[in-house]
Amino acid sequence: MPTVGITLQKEITRRVKPPRAVFLRYPFGHPMGEAFAVRQQRAILRLALTTLESATVPGLVVEPGWAWRRHRFD
Amino acid sequence: MAGDFVNRALVQLVKRAPWLVALWARRHRFVEARTIPWTPLRRPLAEATVALVTSAGVHLAADPPFDMDDRDGDPSFRALPWDAPRPDVTITHKYYDHSAADRDLNVVLPVDRLRELVDEGRVGAIAPRVYSFMGHVDGRHLVTLMEGTAPEVARRLVADGADAVVLTPA
Repeated sequence: MPTVGITLQKEITRRVKPPRAVFLRYPFGHPMGEAFAVRQQRAILRLALTTLESATVPGLVVEPGWAWRRHRFD
Repeated sequence: MAGDFVNRALVQLVKRAPWLVALWARRHRFVEARTIPWTPLRRPLAEATVALVTSAGVHLAADPPFDMDDRDGDPSFRALPWDAPRPDVTITHKYYDHSAADRDLNVVLPVDRLRELVDEGRVGAIAPRVYSFMGHVDGRHLVTLMEGTAPEVARRLVADGADAVVLTPA
């Protein structure tokens, strides 16, 4: 089963080695962002799905660099 | 009582200082894969059924909660319809601050966001059930998770017709 995971902890991801992941420097409890922040949540999910589609190398970890509560999602 | 207070304090501390978890992770013995598991996506996403799995401790309120008393956690899982009415869904997990997820389930389980992508044609369909673990699993429960409950969820995802899975942590 192809999977893509959101991760909030790079060190754990490095050790566990999932096939595809999106790393966000977000606090625990917020893998999809803030409550009711629809644009943010959509952006994260879209990035995860794009990673699922386009990754060709096992172990890819995408890091968009979106700063917690500072990045503006259009 | 004191244990609960300490746990709540630790949860808040770790939320504000995630570098502490990174320090812990460098010393912790994880179950590490020797090779990276890899299955390619076999159909275009616009035709694919996507499932959601989380370790955020989500379950139907009518179902038994995850065990919060066992120090090694709980390796079991819960299944619920992806479109379960929000009042019927709850979270049992004392190892992270789920106050945001309590208000908006999409913070840990993006059911509405995925439904929107289906409506827009970006994704083919949502798998009928979402699955949740409770992410604190350690000690003797690791074998149960690796050899029992996680493979069972994988089998159910296949039976549900899922072509791919998005995994969200707590």
